[in-house]
Amino acid sequence: MPAVQTRDFIPASSISIRDPQLRRALQRVGAGFDGARREAIEEVSPEAWESWREEARAVKAHTLDHLDYYLEMLTRNVERNGGQVHFAVDAAEANAIVSSIVQARGVQVVTKGKSMVSEELDLNHVLEAAGVEVYETDLGEYIIQLAGETPSHLVAPALHKTKEQVAQLFADKLGVPYNDDIEEMARVARTALRDKFLAADMGISGANFLIADTGSLVIITNEGNGRLCTSAPRIHVGIAGMEKVIPSLENLALFLRLLPRSATGQRITSYLSMVSGPRRKADEDGPEEFHLVIVDNGRSRLLADPKLREALYCIRCGACLNICPVYQKVGGHAYGWVYPGPIGSIVTPELVGLKEAKDLPFASSLCGACREACPVKINIPRMLLHLRGQLKESPAPEVRSATRGERLLARGFAAVMSRPALLALGRKAARALQVPFARGGRIARVPFPPFSQWGRSRDLPSIPSRSFRDVWDRELSSPRRNGR
Amino acid sequence: MAAYPGTSQSDFIASIRRALGRPGLDAVEPLSPRAGDGLEELEARALEVSNRLKESRTSLVSRLAETAALRGWHVHRVTQSEAAVGVVVDVARSVGAQRVARSGQDVFSEIPVDEALGNAGLGVAAAVMGDGRDRDGVRQDIIRANMGITGVDYAVAETGSVVVVPRAGLSRLVSLVPPVHLALVRPGDVVESLDDVFLLRRLEYLQKGGDMGSYLNFITGPSRTADIEQTIVIGVHGPKEVHMVLLDEHSYEV
Repeated sequence: MPAVQTRDFIPASSISIRDPQLRRALQRVGAGFDGARREAIEEVSPEAWESWREEARAVKAHTLDHLDYYLEMLTRNVERNGGQVHFAVDAAEANAIVSSIVQARGVQVVTKGKSMVSEELDLNHVLEAAGVEVYETDLGEYIIQLAGETPSHLVAPALHKTKEQVAQLFADKLGVPYNDDIEEMARVARTALRDKFLAADMGISGANFLIADTGSLVIITNEGNGRLCTSAPRIHVGIAGMEKVIPSLENLALFLRLLPRSATGQRITSYLSMVSGPRRKADEDGPEEFHLVIVDNGRSRLLADPKLREALYCIRCGACLNICPVYQKVGGHAYGWVYPGPIGSIVTPELVGLKEAKDLPFASSLCGACREACPVKINIPRMLLHLRGQLKESPAPEVRSATRGERLLARGFAAVMSRPALLALGRKAARALQVPFARGGRIARVPFPPFSQWGRSRDLPSIPSRSFRDVWDRELSSPRRNGR
Repeated sequence: MAAYPGTSQSDFIASIRRALGRPGLDAVEPLSPRAGDGLEELEARALEVSNRLKESRTSLVSRLAETAALRGWHVHRVTQSEAAVGVVVDVARSVGAQRVARSGQDVFSEIPVDEALGNAGLGVAAAVMGDGRDRDGVRQDIIRANMGITGVDYAVAETGSVVVVPRAGLSRLVSLVPPVHLALVRPGDVVESLDDVFLLRRLEYLQKGGDMGSYLNFITGPSRTADIEQTIVIGVHGPKEVHMVLLDEHSYEV
């Protein structure tokens, strides 16, 4: 697995929030991707969109509830198509499987399509250590690979880089003259990678979907790199998280309508490639071998928890990132691992361990925009709250993030909030106690714990002289006004 | 077969069952009648689809032309196969193609482009094995070509896509590697929606006893990227320029 830096979320986000280049890049996410998504939904009509979301959610729920059945069906059909299926419980096993194929087949050059699961495995470094040349071929991934970085967004991995930075990178690494014309840079990448595509022994792809009833792997791309990776080399290895399976080819159209629109606002991507095994005898070309590696790597922990299972419905469109007020400010790298943003804040703690990622479930204002944007209606805020509860109340001290004082305070708060008389009393007491700290309607700092910790990065609105309840009792609830 | 590392299927499935909290396979009620459909139901539904397509063909061809243009195809509507050949030659000339690679699909017996391209002074290679040419020879022809021409198996009015499936004489690379791709679409290829394609493919899969061919490729406009500053650039690894030559129905009523 790649380095897990999730413990550094707070320091990393305080740095990234002050990075002006990153801020400009992140503004494009909201205006560009999310704006286009909204337009695409208007075009199909919000009513139709809603019914697609419901239907897709039902398909995902059904499939995951019967994941054993559909994985067995998928395996049977991939094998019938002449492919081989491998199962990996963790990253080490997945890497060992791919390495052993590489070794057994004398593979020297690998071209890769974009695959988030391979980022999770840190596969490139494993293969490179075994002496294999590995080339990322998606333009964004290629940039990231040349820079020795990790993706900062699920669908636009090099989003954080300016064109000037990319031009400098190409000049340094590829020996081409500095030229920050974007079209020219795309041409440079095409030229640099064309020979690699044709020289590669093995193409590695991820999977957007796996289709159980035909034993197929589906990838969608815009550049054509995915098609080349799966068409030109003599071996194709597909790597997929086990949650990618859908029951039938006839479920696919629905997801194809939802995914590109949610990701970039596109109606459909330029290419959709569905692979059902290696080339057959009569085919003019195509890989001689097809391997599918199905990866667990912590997913069964999500599956086992009924409160978190729906995180596996995710189709990795990135819509929740594009709309998230936290992601829009701190960017993807601050989250410290492969999956950023709201969905990452649920998936990451389960995949790398909750105690490694204590801050991520708190990296949300719980505004609910992610849930509204999600094409499969994943209730992200509910799960973030669930994880917060686990963290605060965990019996294991290395997982528990709340101090004794904080927990006592929270219990007291809950007791007061559920008793109106106590609440009125508490309000009076707090109004008196806040006097030394309240300035202009806000409490910026209270210099003793647990308040001091809470206040490090937040302001608390001070308690007003008249509460809503006061206003309600005196003015709004009177029969005279109600009767009008 | 080499023994690979990893977890056995039975252990992996067992771990999933543990996560799901049950010891064995549950009874699975198919999600909807669709996913559980067998051959008979599919054949009945496919018949409905083909009747619907026949009735609405003229309007579907027009809708395809509109959607395809929006997705970045240069659409050429023609009514006769001679006109289609003419468009092919014009496009080849306009992009300055020196060498053209075409697939060996049967559409080229209806739209014979070789002679016309030859007369125009352009080299054309059928990217097909045989006559002493092996896979590598075919591949080299395609790599050298400035333009690739293929027929299609389906064209989808909903999305403006063309769809190719493995056919004798169709290399996967003809529509992908050369910088220009020209697709020949006959009215009978046109379907309304993505659902139509997947239904018809699934039917063929069942009819052939579980083989639908090694791939199914949808092509919708030119290759593109927006990976640098979200600025769209046309033409990265696939063709920069794509043409759709669309034959209208009455060309077949003759």
